[in-house]
Amino acid sequence: MASIKISGLSKRFGDVAVIKGLDLSIEDGEFISFLGPSGCGKSTLLYCIAGLEEINGGSIRFDGNEISDLGPRERNIALVFQDYALYPHMSVRDNIAFPLRQQKLDETTVAKQVAWAADVLGIEPLLDRLPAALSGGQRQRVAVGRAIVRNPSVLLMDEPLSNLDASLRVRMRTEIRKLQKELGITVIFVTHDQEEAMVLSDRIAVMNQGAVQQFAAPMEVYARPANRFVAGFIGSPQMNFLPAQICGGREGHVVGVRPHDLKPQPELAGDFTLKGELLLVEPAGPFQFLDVAVGDHIVRATCVDPAGLAPGDTVTLGAAREALRFFATDGGQCVNHQS
Amino acid sequence: MVCEERMTATTDTQGIEFSTPRRRAGRLPGFAYLTVAPTLILMVVIVALPLIYSLYLSFNSTNPITKRWIFVGLANYTKVFQSADFWWSLARTGYFSLLAVIGTTVFGTLFALVLNERFAGRGFLRSIVLLPWAMAPVSIGVLWSFVYAGNFGLLNGLLHDLGLGRYATAWFGDGFRALNLVALTQIWNQAPLTTLMLLSALQSMPANLHRAAVLDGAGPIKRFLAITLPWLKPTLLFSTIISTINAFMTFDIIWIMTRGGPGSATMTLSWLGYLQSFQFLKFGEGAAILYVLTILSLACAILYFFVLSPRRPKAAAAGTGEDTALEVVRARPAMVVMKPRIRRRIVSAATAKTLSRLFFRFSIVAIFVWSFLPVAALVFISLSPATDLIRTPPSIFPSTLTFENYRMVLMAEGTANVQAQRVPISLLNSFLIGSIVAVLNVGLGTFAGYGFARYAGNRFFSISLWALLLTRMVPALTLVLPFFVIFRSLGLIDTYPGMIIAYSTILMPLAAWMMKTAFETVPLSLERAALVDGCSRWTMFRKVLVPVVRPGIIAALIFCFLVSWNEFLFAMILTSTPRTQTIPVVIAGFLNQARFYEYGPLFAASVLAILPPVAVTFFFQRYLIQGALSGAVKG
Repeated sequence: MASIKISGLSKRFGDVAVIKGLDLSIEDGEFISFLGPSGCGKSTLLYCIAGLEEINGGSIRFDGNEISDLGPRERNIALVFQDYALYPHMSVRDNIAFPLRQQKLDETTVAKQVAWAADVLGIEPLLDRLPAALSGGQRQRVAVGRAIVRNPSVLLMDEPLSNLDASLRVRMRTEIRKLQKELGITVIFVTHDQEEAMVLSDRIAVMNQGAVQQFAAPMEVYARPANRFVAGFIGSPQMNFLPAQICGGREGHVVGVRPHDLKPQPELAGDFTLKGELLLVEPAGPFQFLDVAVGDHIVRATCVDPAGLAPGDTVTLGAAREALRFFATDGGQCVNHQS
Repeated sequence: MVCEERMTATTDTQGIEFSTPRRRAGRLPGFAYLTVAPTLILMVVIVALPLIYSLYLSFNSTNPITKRWIFVGLANYTKVFQSADFWWSLARTGYFSLLAVIGTTVFGTLFALVLNERFAGRGFLRSIVLLPWAMAPVSIGVLWSFVYAGNFGLLNGLLHDLGLGRYATAWFGDGFRALNLVALTQIWNQAPLTTLMLLSALQSMPANLHRAAVLDGAGPIKRFLAITLPWLKPTLLFSTIISTINAFMTFDIIWIMTRGGPGSATMTLSWLGYLQSFQFLKFGEGAAILYVLTILSLACAILYFFVLSPRRPKAAAAGTGEDTALEVVRARPAMVVMKPRIRRRIVSAATAKTLSRLFFRFSIVAIFVWSFLPVAALVFISLSPATDLIRTPPSIFPSTLTFENYRMVLMAEGTANVQAQRVPISLLNSFLIGSIVAVLNVGLGTFAGYGFARYAGNRFFSISLWALLLTRMVPALTLVLPFFVIFRSLGLIDTYPGMIIAYSTILMPLAAWMMKTAFETVPLSLERAALVDGCSRWTMFRKVLVPVVRPGIIAALIFCFLVSWNEFLFAMILTSTPRTQTIPVVIAGFLNQARFYEYGPLFAASVLAILPPVAVTFFFQRYLIQGALSGAVKG
């Protein structure tokens, strides 16, 4: 277990700067997600921490000790790969034992430790199988087993759930969270799935274009996005963005309101109202989403009971003042305190 | 029940044309059989029947003068097994093959590991590495003969240039050394094939596997042994079989370099079989020896397969872990707290990195020198004046560069050298025969490849495909003997048709196999779409499939042409006049007819003979690689 402090980290591939002077401080035992669109540098950052990529500048400290000059073997980290990277010619048992044998542990300790990991993950019946004979979820478990078996100071996970089907993904993420709590291990989890990040993490580092946009607890990121990118990236369906003038805001600002905060109401009243033509009603289980044309913009709102609403109708939508977020048009910074 | 029945009914109607062949065996569309029929029938006629004929030959005693045949049963075999020559040749073949296979595999693996890394000029080096393999074996023989030649050879020249003249010697003078040097030449020629196969296996290896092993704490050597080697195992098995068979069948370079000599120091089984059959015209005994060689090839392939193929892992794993596992379960698993591991380094990280970079650079240079220097030397000799070749003391540096040798072989009217005059026409022959057999066999192979790819699950198709592959295990010498006998009586010796038939025995399975791999990449849905859109099978094949596999067709054409261009044995036995002789035969002819100071044209002709392979290596490399990987047929 270790705390991690990254400061001024930069990484280039040729002339392309993938990570530009990134700072991040992770506490011991935290579950951290790197969340961002593909190509935002989150996996590169993970590989830099793992030592699989060399960094061009800055420092990475585990528990205060500089490790960026060390090879991956000396950092005592484990990584669960997206494709699991199980050694195809070794049985599950040998796969899990592999990192232990590299440490030249005696076979009794190895067997004990493998049994422990198998017990934790519930994969004892699979120990003598080859990876090819496992299902996706089982492979996932074995990969996690191989990672935790040697008690790493940091466990890194590179989109480990993305190859699983939807229901299994939900189950596995609960298990991973439970396991992390049990072991008290520091985990860095890379994902592009915001739901996954929200559910799992103590804190989320939302990344875009090689920089951390916001690093905060999940609900903080959701409720108080630091900028327009974070606001748009977190939350589904996406936040509505409209020119701020529409509700009396300042020129050069954009107002954002989440569909879940925008609801039909009888008439123009309250802090924030919009009037437009209803285009479409999309049932989504507990809610119905409404697509409404307001001027040139299409705004998405929610309602629980769409009775009496038909496409073509004019509807009035309203939201509470607290639900509004204002962003500067250039730079996209959240400027709520100014308005 | 009802539901189930309906389900099957639906799948049946959907699958009338395409259902998995196993379920509907025997009810394949006629088109399926039609695609492979020409290839299979022709293979029976030109390969199976001649092989049976040569088996029959091996039970007969023939008298070359009276042309009388007497059935002697197993007497030829008995005679062969009782001759000391045979056992000595067998031992030599074994030694030669062992050396060649180990060398080919080790060098091939090293090259592949280096070429799998990223570095500037990797593509270029890959082309260079392929050169020794793409060249005609005859040119290789000529080149290395001159390297090791007694008085004026390149190696001795180099030694003199370095002031080490006292070490100069007649390299082929010592029998055992000659055998080793021929094996070295075989390794030089064959290692690139192993490299190619391993390289493609290495590139299909998931990158994360190595990353995971790095994180698990495995160093480079451990990673190679624990991760890379097991991954390469099936490919290594395959490449070992191929290089063993190629070593068994080595003929061209022996013919050019040593002709079994000095004495009988390089007399391998294939050379002995050749001598018996074509020098002493003892067809029966020759056939018997060649059949022994054939069976040896087959046995070796089977042996490797059983020794090296992956065993059922379950049994192995159960033995190791059983008792400890039980004990642990009783002891309640608990996490062992481990100390963070401090790695002991002998040298500092920076030094280690510099060292490994230096070592890597060195290996790149070494590979370049190994592959390219001999070829460059051949070009240089061909540009040297003839007198340079017999200088005393010898030197590797030409006194001047001249195109005189090329003038002699290409505009030969004025020269007295008969053999040189044959070069232009032989180049034309090689080109024509190569083009005809390539088009013919790739045409047939395109159909057959489709059938074999699409209906691989059907027993008829899988068995006939294996039969095709099995012809690879038959030494060409075993085939050339019945051809020689049959062609003599049919008057096909020294004719284009004769050559085309002979080459088709090699190229037909090769083309079918290459096209099969090409068709395997075409998704079945493409065919279904074409059929749904109203194509007949034939239209679908012509208008949809053939355009899609065009790169594969081009690859097969180029590869078949090259194999035919480089082929020596068939051409030598089955031609007798310049009318049909191909360039390798003419090159070999120089060695019979020319006097030593006339070797200039020989080298010029050898360089001309390697031009098409070199061009392909540099400009159509990927076709060549495709051929090598899917072909598995060419030596």
